[in-house]
Amino acid sequence: MSRQVAFDVGGTFTDFALSEAGAVQQTFLKVPTTYPDPAKGVIAGLHQLIDAGWLDPDECDLVLHATTIATNAILERKGARTALITSMGFRDVLIIGRQKRHRTYEVAVNRTKPLLARSDIFEIRERVGADGEIVEPLDEAALDALARRLAEGGYDAVAVCLLHAYANPTHELSVRDALLRHAPYLRISLSHVVSPKIREYERTSTTVADAYVGPAVERYVASLKASLADLGITPSLSIMQSNGGLISTELACRMPIRIVESGPAAGVLLCAAVGRDEGLKNLLTFDMGGTTAKLGAVDDGEPAIVSGFEVDAADYKKGSGLPLNISSIELVEIGAGGGSIAEPLMGLLQVGPQSASSWPGPACYGRGGVRPTVTDANLLLGYLAADGFNNGAMTLDAEASRNAVQLHVASPLGLSVTEAAWGIHALATNNMERALRIISIERGRDPRDYTLIAFGGAGPLHAARLARQASVGRVLVPLGAGVGSALGLLRAAPKLDALTTRILPLVPESAVSMSEVFADLEAKLRSDLRQAHLTAQGSFQRAIYMRYKGQGFELKVSVPDGPIDHSFVAAARDAFQAAYRRIYGTAVPGSEIEAIDWLLVWQADAPGRRASVATHPMDAADPTTREVYFPETDGFVSCRIFSRSALAPGAVFDGPVIVTEPETTTVVLPGDRLEVTRQGNLLITIGAA
Amino acid sequence: MSCSAANHAGLPDRVDAVTASVISSTLIAIAEEMGTALRNSAYSAAVREGDDFSTALFDRYGRLVAQGNFTPGHLGSMPFVLQHVLRYYPESSLRPGDGIFLNDAALGSGHFPDCYLVSPIHLQDRVVGYVASIAHHVDVGGAAPGSQLVQGVSEAYQEGIRILPVRAVRNDEFDEEFLRIFLGNVRLPDIVRGDLTAQKSANHIGAARFLELFAKHGAATMDRAIEHLLDVAEAATREEIRRIPSGSYRFSDYFDDAGPGTEPICVSVEVTVQDGNITFDFSDSSDQVGAAINSYLNYTRAYCFFAVKVFTDPRLPQNDGAIRPITVTSREGSFFNPTFPAPSGGRATIQVRIFEAISGALAEAVPNKAIAAFSHWSNPNIGGVDEKTGRPFIFYDLIMGGYGAMQSRDGAEALAAVMNCANIPIEMHERANPIRIRHFGFLPDSGGAGQFRGGCGIRKDVEVLTASARASLLSDRHVHAPYGLAGGKPGKLGETVLLRDGQARNLSSKETVMLRRGDILSFRLSGGGGFGDPALRETAAIERDLEEGYTTLDASRACYPQFKPESNPS
Repeated sequence: MSRQVAFDVGGTFTDFALSEAGAVQQTFLKVPTTYPDPAKGVIAGLHQLIDAGWLDPDECDLVLHATTIATNAILERKGARTALITSMGFRDVLIIGRQKRHRTYEVAVNRTKPLLARSDIFEIRERVGADGEIVEPLDEAALDALARRLAEGGYDAVAVCLLHAYANPTHELSVRDALLRHAPYLRISLSHVVSPKIREYERTSTTVADAYVGPAVERYVASLKASLADLGITPSLSIMQSNGGLISTELACRMPIRIVESGPAAGVLLCAAVGRDEGLKNLLTFDMGGTTAKLGAVDDGEPAIVSGFEVDAADYKKGSGLPLNISSIELVEIGAGGGSIAEPLMGLLQVGPQSASSWPGPACYGRGGVRPTVTDANLLLGYLAADGFNNGAMTLDAEASRNAVQLHVASPLGLSVTEAAWGIHALATNNMERALRIISIERGRDPRDYTLIAFGGAGPLHAARLARQASVGRVLVPLGAGVGSALGLLRAAPKLDALTTRILPLVPESAVSMSEVFADLEAKLRSDLRQAHLTAQGSFQRAIYMRYKGQGFELKVSVPDGPIDHSFVAAARDAFQAAYRRIYGTAVPGSEIEAIDWLLVWQADAPGRRASVATHPMDAADPTTREVYFPETDGFVSCRIFSRSALAPGAVFDGPVIVTEPETTTVVLPGDRLEVTRQGNLLITIGAA
Repeated sequence: MSCSAANHAGLPDRVDAVTASVISSTLIAIAEEMGTALRNSAYSAAVREGDDFSTALFDRYGRLVAQGNFTPGHLGSMPFVLQHVLRYYPESSLRPGDGIFLNDAALGSGHFPDCYLVSPIHLQDRVVGYVASIAHHVDVGGAAPGSQLVQGVSEAYQEGIRILPVRAVRNDEFDEEFLRIFLGNVRLPDIVRGDLTAQKSANHIGAARFLELFAKHGAATMDRAIEHLLDVAEAATREEIRRIPSGSYRFSDYFDDAGPGTEPICVSVEVTVQDGNITFDFSDSSDQVGAAINSYLNYTRAYCFFAVKVFTDPRLPQNDGAIRPITVTSREGSFFNPTFPAPSGGRATIQVRIFEAISGALAEAVPNKAIAAFSHWSNPNIGGVDEKTGRPFIFYDLIMGGYGAMQSRDGAEALAAVMNCANIPIEMHERANPIRIRHFGFLPDSGGAGQFRGGCGIRKDVEVLTASARASLLSDRHVHAPYGLAGGKPGKLGETVLLRDGQARNLSSKETVMLRRGDILSFRLSGGGGFGDPALRETAAIERDLEEGYTTLDASRACYPQFKPESNPS
C-alpha cells in the first residue's frame, strides 16, 4: 500500500505526519530538533515511527519535508564564504542598502549585518542601460583576471548582480562563463536567474543570499538522503518552498533561496486544505506561538502569495531585515505570543514586543521568569488550566502569575489583578488586530467575507476575541493543529513559479510584447519541470503586478488565460481598477496603467492528499468546569471544559465553553456557538448563540 | 503653546488604564493605517520612498491625540494645524465630507510643497474629531522644478502657489474649481492630482476608523480616555525631561551659506532644562536670509521635538500632552523664526543642523546620548524636458551618508540622518529620467578620526542624457566641517563637482546650474564627526577599517599614531 511521510523541522520540535493510500492519518509525532545537524532528529523520529509499526520503509513512496536549514544559515551567519561581482562604480550598493533606519527616533541604531564584507565585493567594468541597451561593453580581460583572483580567494560561492540585468542578462552570462572557465567548483548565483526584477539593492540582496545558503542546503540534502537510504527509505524527497509548493531536492539545490520560510508556508497550506474540506474558500490564517503571531490569507481557496519578504528583521519591523525577492506565502508577523511581556509604559499598559521566550518563559512556568506575560494573564483569567499544559509536560504556577501581574502591572496602574490580567489579554488582542487589519483591510480583503483559522499553541485561545474585534464572523480550529506544518506538507501539491520585470503600458498596443513575456516565462517553467522530472498534469496561472504610471508600489492582479488581445487587456485593466478601488476606496479614472512584474505559476492538478474523516467516539465523561473571566459576564463564571477527544462530530454548544487538547486550548466566548464539524474541526460562529 | 479642552466639567472620573491603553493603541494604529494607504497610493517619490508625509487624529477641540510614525519634519506643525484651520473654518461651518486644504509655510510645515488636508469627523450633526494628512508634493510651481530653489529666490512669492486654508473638498470630492486653480499652477498636475487623491483616501480611511472607535466606546468614554492620554503623556514627558541635569546649555555652529557668495549662517541654540520643562531658544542665530532656506518656527520646532525624543525616550507619545513641557522660541525675524514672505522652499537642508546644534549643546549634560555631527545630505533637483518622450521630468534625489560617532560606537554607515527616508533605487531613477548614475559608494577616509570614528561620506555621480537640464543643488558642509565631540576629529568636507568635457569645476553647495548632455554632477558628501581622542582607538578597529577599505593606509598612519603596520602591503 502506498504510504507517505512528512516532517517539518522547526526551531524547537520536528513534527511528523503520515498518509496512507491518499488519506492523511491521525497519527502524529513530535521529537526535539537536534543541533547542529537536524538530520539526526529526523532519523530518530523515523526510527520511532518504524519501530512503532506506523511506517514501513518498503511501502514508503514519498518523503515530504519542510526545513529551516536555509533560514538558519542566514540568521546565524553560517553560510558559505561568498563573493559578489557587481557593476563598476556600484560596489557599495549592498552595504548602503536603502538607508532608512527602522526606528525613526533613535540614532544609536544597529543595522542588520550584511551576509558578506565590503572586501568580498568586486567590480567589473560594464554597463547596461535601463532599456537593456549595452552602454559599455564588458571588459573581458579584466573579467578573466577577476575570475582567476576569485578562484584563489578561498570562496565557496559567487553572486553576480549587474545593473539592469533583469532587462538584459548578456553580461551576467559572460561573467558566469568566465567563472566556469577559471573556477568551475564555485557555486554561482546570477541575479537575472534568481530574481529578474527591477531595484538593484533588493535584487543584489536576494542573489547574495541564494549563493550564501546554497552550499549548506546541498550538504544538508546529501546528508539527509544518505541517512534515509540507511533506513531503507529510498523514494524521492520533496522540499517545501516559501511559495507553498513542493519541489524536488535537485531543484531546491539549484534555487536554494526558495526554501527559506518553508515551515510557515506549509502551515498556511494546511489551512487552505482544511478550508477545502469545509467548503470555506476565504480564510485568514492565524498562527500564534510563544513569541510571535503570524497572519496569512487564503483567497478563493488559494494561499495568498507575495513577491518578496525580509529575513532577519529587527523587532519584526519592515525595512530592518535583508530583503528577498522570492515568491512567498503572504504572512504578517508581529511580536505577540504567549511569552510577550506586559509592562506599564508612561502611564499606559504595553504588551510586547519583548518576550520572555521559551526560557525562562512566563512567570507561571516557575523557571525564574518574573515579568508577567500573556500566558500568565490567560492562566489568571481561567482560559488556561494549571495542569495539562503543553501536553502535560508542566504544571503552571498561578501564584507566580498573580505575583508578577500584581507587582509589575496592577499596582503601578492602580488596577486589581483581574483587571490587569484582562488588560494584558485585551492589549495582546489589540496588537494582533492591527496585524489582522494589515493582512485584510489594508490589502483589499473584507474581513466579513473571511473565516479566521487558528492554530499554534496560543492561536485558538485568542481567536474568537480577535475575530469579534475585527468583524470576522467565524473561527475554525483544525484537527491536528499542533503539527500543522507537517500536515500541510501532506496536503500540498507540486508548484513552481517564474517572475520577471518588463515595464509596459497596459494598452492593446502592448499585446505582442505581453504575449512574449508570458511565453518566455512558460518556456522557463517547462524547462524547470523537465529538469525536475515533474510529469504530473498541471495548469498555469497568470498574474501581473500593476500600478498607475508614476506610482511606486504595485498591486498583484490575476489575469485570465487564453490569447492576449484587446479583451485580455480590457479584462486586466478592469481587474486592476477593481483591486485598486477595493484597497484605496477610489480609482484614478483615465490614468495610464503600467505593468511592471509578470508572474506565471504552474501547479499540479492533483489536490494533494485528503483528510481522513474523524471517528472519535463521544467520551462518556461529563465536562468539568472552572471559573473563567469574561467581560461579557462582568466577571468570573462557571465555564464548561471539554476534552477535544470527547467531542463527536455534530456536537453543538453555546459559549462560554473551553475545549482542551494536548497542544492547545480553544476558548468559545459567551454569545458564540461552537460546532464540531463532520471532519472533526471546531467551527465557532461569532454572535450565533 | 497648546490649547486646552474648553470644558470637561460634568464628566465622571478618569477612565481606567486598560480602556485608555486599548483606545491609545487603536488611535496610533489608525494613524499608521492612514499612512499605509497614503504611501501605497502616492505618486511623489518623496512620499513613497522618503516617507515625507504624516497622518494624525485630533479630538473635537482640535488637540492632537495621535500621529503616525513617519517623517519627524511634520512633528512641529501637526499639533497646531487645527488651530489655524478652525480660525478660518469654525466648527459650525464644517459639514460632513468637507476637506480643508492649506500649504502656507507659516501655517503649514515650513514650505509650500507640503500640503495639508484636514477633514472633520461628524457623528450625527456634531464634530467629534478631525483627521489630517500632509504630504510633500512633487511640485507646486514657482521658479524651478520641485519648488525648492534656493538661489535667487528672495521672496516666498517666487516659490509657487500659496494656499491659506480653503474648503477644497465637499461631499468627499475635490472641488473642481479649486483643482483648476491649484493644478493650473503646478508643473506636473497629473501627479499632484494623484497625490491629493491619495491624501483624501487616507483621510477617508482614518475618519471611518475613528468613528468605529466612537461607536464602540461611546463619546463620553472617548472624551475621558483622550483627556487621560494627554495627561499621562505630559506627565511622562516631564518625568523624562527631569532625568536631564538642570541647567542652561549652549552650542553654535555655522551653515556654509545661503547660496553662492553669501555669508555663513550662525546656528546657535540655548537649551534650558528646569522643573520638567525644556526650552530651546535660537535667538542668537543669524537673521533670516534672502534665499529659500529659512526655517519657519513650525519647522524649527519639529526637530526640537525630535531631539527631545532622542535625548529622553524615543517611545514618548506624539500628542498634545507630550509637547506641553516643550517650548521653542527664536527672535522674530531670525533665521529660525522668519516673517512672511521669507522664502523657505529649500528649508529641509537645515533640519540636520537644528538637531546637531541641540546635540552639541546637550553633549555636556547627557554625554552617553550625544552624537557627533552627521554627514550632511544632498537633496538635488534636476529638471527639464526628456527629449525622447517630449515630456517634462524632475529627478529628485536624496543622497545620504554616515552618522557621527557616539561615546561607545563608531558612526553608522549610510543611514538617513535625522529626517528618516529611504534612498531611491538607481534602476528606478534611470528608468524614469534621462539621467544615468555613474557611481554610488563610500568615500574612504572621509569619517572624522576618533576613539570612535565618524561614518563615511558617500559619492554619487549623475550624468545628464538629454540636451539640457537645470539643476538646483541643496547641500552643505562644503565649508564648515561636521564637528567631532570629546576630542574626536571633524569629518572631511563635502564637495559638489561638475565634470564637463574632461574638466572638473567645484560648485557651491546651493548653486543653480544649467547642464547639458554628457555633464556629470558628482555629489561628494562630508563625513561624520569622530568621538574621543583618536590615540585611544583600538588597533584592531583601525586594521578592520583598512581591510574593508573605509580608510587608506596613509590616512590611518596620519590619524592614528598608535597604528604601526608591520609590513607595507602592496
